[in-house]
Amino acid sequence: MVIQIVLLCGLVLFSGLAILLRDLIKAALSLAVASLFLGLIFFRLGAPYAGVFEISVVAGLITVLFALTIALTKKEDEVQENRLVKIIFPLFFILFLIIDGLVMKSLLTKVPALPATPEGESFGLVLWKQRTFDLVAQIGVIFAGVLAVLALFRKTGKDEDKDE
Amino acid sequence: MVFSFIVIPLLVAAFLPLIGKFSKKLIPDVLTNAALAYLVFNAVMLVKPLLAQGTILQNVNWFGEQVNLAVALDSFSLFMLFTISLVSLCITIFSVDYLEHYGHKANFYALLLVMIAGMNGLVLVPDLFSVYLFLEVAAVASYALVAFGLGYDELEASFKYLMLSVVASAFALLSITIIFGMTGSLSFQAVAQGLQDLQARYVIGVCIAFFIMGFGLKAALVPFHAWLPDAHPSAPAPISAMLSGLLIKVSGVYALFRIVYSVVGMTPVLTQVFLALGTVSMVVAALLALGQKDLKRMLAYSSISQVGYIVVGLALGTPLGLLGGLFHLFNHAVAKGLLFLNSGSVQHITGTRNLEELGGLDKRVPVTAGTNLVGALSIAGVPPLAGFWSKLIIIMALIQAKEFGYALVAILASILTLWYYLLMQRKAFFGPLNENLKQVKEAPFWMSAACVILALIAILVGVFFTPFVKTWISPAADVLARGIQHVLTWGI
Repeated sequence: MVIQIVLLCGLVLFSGLAILLRDLIKAALSLAVASLFLGLIFFRLGAPYAGVFEISVVAGLITVLFALTIALTKKEDEVQENRLVKIIFPLFFILFLIIDGLVMKSLLTKVPALPATPEGESFGLVLWKQRTFDLVAQIGVIFAGVLAVLALFRKTGKDEDKDE
Repeated sequence: MVFSFIVIPLLVAAFLPLIGKFSKKLIPDVLTNAALAYLVFNAVMLVKPLLAQGTILQNVNWFGEQVNLAVALDSFSLFMLFTISLVSLCITIFSVDYLEHYGHKANFYALLLVMIAGMNGLVLVPDLFSVYLFLEVAAVASYALVAFGLGYDELEASFKYLMLSVVASAFALLSITIIFGMTGSLSFQAVAQGLQDLQARYVIGVCIAFFIMGFGLKAALVPFHAWLPDAHPSAPAPISAMLSGLLIKVSGVYALFRIVYSVVGMTPVLTQVFLALGTVSMVVAALLALGQKDLKRMLAYSSISQVGYIVVGLALGTPLGLLGGLFHLFNHAVAKGLLFLNSGSVQHITGTRNLEELGGLDKRVPVTAGTNLVGALSIAGVPPLAGFWSKLIIIMALIQAKEFGYALVAILASILTLWYYLLMQRKAFFGPLNENLKQVKEAPFWMSAACVILALIAILVGVFFTPFVKTWISPAADVLARGIQHVLTWGI
């Protein structure tokens, strides 16, 4: 019970930090830590697959994508946000909710899902014994992300001239 | 042996940034090219054992302990691995000289090798979630490679590409999630079996629609193509060649058709959907290519059009259609790789890609002009080059399947293709030499050598197309033709 509360508090705390922090890299890292907590909660609730995927995709991959996106932007860029975005995004979101609520839910409830394989094994076993390839791919993704940040933050000839 | 397609590029990529600290050029050049040459050799060496065994399944032991690191190599995967390794090798040979003005070769090669490892992984894994993950390995590396020049255009194009690609991945992941929810499994074999047992036509339809949106975006099929004409021209030439020649085919066409044929199962409705998407792509993109003045942008639109041919061939599902589709996939990878590399050479020697500012280059740079002509004619489908045979097979397959309307459109689109490629050739290479280009010289040795190798492949595959088709294409087409049954016989 104590562990559960600690995990939930951690999840809320780091989710809050992800929204409140002004530094984008720190916000992305906070989100990754929040996902880590969520993954552990999934595992404790008896869904190790969901836990492994949460950690693998959100804590690993999405963080790399955030870091990469931030690396692709420049400090001095002035971004004029299109006003349409403010209208289109909520519209799409509502549309998605309607489709999800009306179509997907009714479709999925009609389908008799096959009995899933028992997921009672430990987190480590699921990750190591069943989803081992995900680890290799995750290493690849993180490695690609690190190399990408190294390549995109490198000093070019122009930068070196400026320094001089 | 099979794992080396993933492990070797990753390992070399891991050491390259360190090696780059003390050897900026020579060792990264040699190491990268040697690694890829080994992969080509490895692919060739696997032909015989694969023909004998049907499918090679390998599972790695970790110090005697069984872990789930399983790969499945069949003739379709091997054909893709061979294509990836061969075209990548030519691209890295080209990069030896081309990257001189970019610098940071070790970093570039490392990212390129991670991208190749991602593509190879995607081709080898027998599991839907792993497909998604390796798709992302290749994609993350490609975002950085598109922006490698660090100019405004490169960064903007990469950002656009990243945003749309993430949407594509989200659709694919959503579909995988629903399938996992229904079948409780992610392995191709178990999902194929599970979907057979379930009566869930509509949900499977929704899943396929998401896959088409996701992988269609990656393959840049019309109407999901908006990102490609920005991303491909902005990247350095070797990366444009990688993206147009390989990535859109592996992460788009291969992933989509592997799942459709081997996991979900092809249906007549799906055939019609793919035929329509493919045909629209080949016509719309060909018309858009006609009006382009930027050499690389024209090639980018041409890629969308040619992917349309591949999709039409694969969509038919007949032995001839599959054969034509896969053969065109290879031919387009070679020829488009060649044309993008040539565009890099043209930009390198003249400083421009604008067709209006070029002209008469054949007098000054005969090798680049000659290889460009071979690539252009191959894609346009002129005999005896390789592209002629694949287009002919696709059109014959359409006629055989009594899809006369689509066959007519494919022929007309082929004429359009020939038109814009001859236009490109005339504006850039033929006619009187532009006054500003009198001092230009042929591209450096390794850049020309890579283009010559690719041009020779396009010619030789066209001349000796029967043995090539028998060795690489027919077995791959057989795998797809067997559909779900092929995967169900795997003993995973």
